[in-house]
Amino acid sequence: MMKVIEKERLASLIDGWIEERKVYAPAERRDLIVFEEIESGGEAHLEFNNTRVPPKSVYYPQREVLFTTTGKEGDVELKTPASLEETVILGVRPCDAHAVTLLDAFFGSGEHKDTSYLSRREKITLVGLACNDPAGTCFCTSVGGDPHERQGLDAIFVDLGDRYLIEAMTERGQRLLDGSDLMRDAVERDLREAKELRKRAEAQIDKLELDGLDERLDGLFEDPLWEEMQRKCMGCGVCTFTCPTCWCFDMADEEVPEGTERIRFWDTCQAALFTKQGSGFNPRPSGKERMRQRVMHKFNYYHKDFGRPACVGCGRCVTSCPVNQDIREVLVKLMGLERGEADE
Amino acid sequence: MEKEIRKVARALLRDGKVDLVIGYGRGTLPLRSTPCFITDEDGVDELIWDPSCGVNLARYLPDIKGRVGIVAKGCDARSIVVLINEGQVERENVQVIGVPCRGVIDRRKVEREFGSLDNLEITYAEDAIKIKGKDPERKLPLKGYLSEACVSCRSQNPPIHDVLVGERITEDSGVDEYSRVREIESMPAEERWRFFEEELGSCIRCYACREACPLCYCKECFVDETMPQWFGKTTDLSDTIIFHLVRALHLTGRCVDCGACTRACPMEIDLRSLTKKTEKIVKERFGQEYGLSLGEPPVMGVFKQDDPQEFVVKGGKEGSQ
Amino acid sequence: MDENWEPRVIAFLCNWCSYAGADLAGISRISYPPNIRVVRVPCSARVSPYFIIKSLQAGWDGVLVSGCHPGDCHYISGNLVARRRFGVLKDLLGYIGCDEGRVNFSWVSAAEGERFSQVVSEVVERVRALGPSKRLVKEA
Repeated sequence: MMKVIEKERLASLIDGWIEERKVYAPAERRDLIVFEEIESGGEAHLEFNNTRVPPKSVYYPQREVLFTTTGKEGDVELKTPASLEETVILGVRPCDAHAVTLLDAFFGSGEHKDTSYLSRREKITLVGLACNDPAGTCFCTSVGGDPHERQGLDAIFVDLGDRYLIEAMTERGQRLLDGSDLMRDAVERDLREAKELRKRAEAQIDKLELDGLDERLDGLFEDPLWEEMQRKCMGCGVCTFTCPTCWCFDMADEEVPEGTERIRFWDTCQAALFTKQGSGFNPRPSGKERMRQRVMHKFNYYHKDFGRPACVGCGRCVTSCPVNQDIREVLVKLMGLERGEADE
Repeated sequence: MEKEIRKVARALLRDGKVDLVIGYGRGTLPLRSTPCFITDEDGVDELIWDPSCGVNLARYLPDIKGRVGIVAKGCDARSIVVLINEGQVERENVQVIGVPCRGVIDRRKVEREFGSLDNLEITYAEDAIKIKGKDPERKLPLKGYLSEACVSCRSQNPPIHDVLVGERITEDSGVDEYSRVREIESMPAEERWRFFEEELGSCIRCYACREACPLCYCKECFVDETMPQWFGKTTDLSDTIIFHLVRALHLTGRCVDCGACTRACPMEIDLRSLTKKTEKIVKERFGQEYGLSLGEPPVMGVFKQDDPQEFVVKGGKEGSQ
Repeated sequence: MDENWEPRVIAFLCNWCSYAGADLAGISRISYPPNIRVVRVPCSARVSPYFIIKSLQAGWDGVLVSGCHPGDCHYISGNLVARRRFGVLKDLLGYIGCDEGRVNFSWVSAAEGERFSQVVSEVVERVRALGPSKRLVKEA
């Protein structure tokens, strides 16, 4: 059953969640909107396009302690970090939720599942906010997404102007709405308006023709276009660290007052040192190999393993790249190339 | 000036003076340009020149072999001077296409005032930007939306150039370039610390600042040293502050305040509040300017017998040097 | 703050002058606060800002770097290079709000045992007044 809540009552609904759970929502910090833990419903800021960085660090922290060893030799105590409490992330755009499903598929696959990620993930309820006004950098519809899609979300809010339409898709989502008298049932008019908004939002996004891109890339590994396209890339990590689907990490042991922490932390395949081996050899010695890696991984390798691209069209890399490297431009160029032009 | 730049680039390539010209091309987003690498005459029409040309293209120079032509604003040219003085670029391998500059636009200032720039028609006019959209056309004076580094710029004219495109600029900006630094200096220590914790706390350790900076060219950055590891690579606040502190330290006497770092930062951190201080320290402690002429002594690589040492602990009554 | 807290100061002393001066203080039975731990370096110029910053991050309450008097450096000009470096480091640390009184620099010659003890006393007292170091200290 779809519900509707008047905007001025939303803060109270959220306050109810805060009583029993940690709640993260978009909030204002230094001129930017970022996901932060909020102490009261009034702090949630839901008038925004998208955050500069996704809420990824809630379920996949940028710095994660795997264990701590304390004590002197022979007397080592191993401490594993406490698990996550019940957590709600509010204001997740459909693209970011779609990205979570990509991470779920990866971390949950194979014989050795990533228990660290999964144990955090199962404590999290994702509450989405449908996009009525996609940005000029959005391209979710080109990679199998949609500004109102429900994939990955436990519940979704649709902004109808003076009120929100709420739909709970899972039990977890439903639990957030149970027992609250702040909402009324949705009526035909609400549903109709939401549908209109969805149509309008979809039409606002320029759709790129990327059908068959994964196969096309099979024949383009040696293409000279990679060399040309990566010239301006500076090899920083902005695209990686603002991307909701990137997950590469590095590990290290760090000294802390109590002893040693083994941590894992985000790394980027765009860094020159990412693949440098102890011997000094680097299989990806230049920007060409690294940029090719990024595109191939997202649009070919992941596609082969999981049946869909590892890109959700959120456009953050486009917005934030210091040299305006535009992945949309890159993909369109790749689509326009003859297959196997530079095959071995 | 755009036509002139293309003309110069075409001539350089045609006459074989360079194998490559680096300049600015049209970006895919409003108020953005993008670095452009031209290897033959026909490509020069991609080159543009407008107030969105912010990136410091000199950051590409250290890694390029062969002869290069490069479009350089005043600040960019200063960083080229430092690169040559530090032996990272050979003078005879670079043809500097110098462009006197009145400042580049800070697109974030425009966005903060106007919200999204999607679906707007943006054109540049003399010292102004014209924005046309659903509402009547607005004409914004460029001066109100300049990158902070440009507001108080003293390097409008390139100190080094092989060709100068456009008229030299004679007027001073008239703005105290250290006003923000002075503001911070006047805060009590506790407040200063909280300011930097807050500002640098948003850092996601993406290193866009480092990569955008032409003077951060070390093949192995101190961040990546593991034998020994000086500090951590994560967003732990202590590690993050140390990264920025030491980067500023490494740029002392070298940073020309082009603003590329601040412009590149995805979290909009005001990195200049730190780097500009190093320039002030150098001026006040050592009275040295840099990035202005070839053959200058490197500030932190030289010393004077009478360098200030007011900080030396004297130790009791016998306190004599 | 633990009332038993004693400041811990790490001291980088140049081998030829300051370390010898500290040694002389010891031989002459001159008393000075036991709060310092000495690291011997060939020259004050060997002390990279990394050492100082890492010490602060590791929780040392204070740092002392001591070298030969200007003009007397065993390596001719090491201490002069170091002098520039330290001025900048102190200014920058102070600017970001770190207690710059924690980072100290001195000239102590091999003959100045008494002076060394005075420098140490002055530094330890300065650091004691600042309390335990909090800025830049890496938490778990």
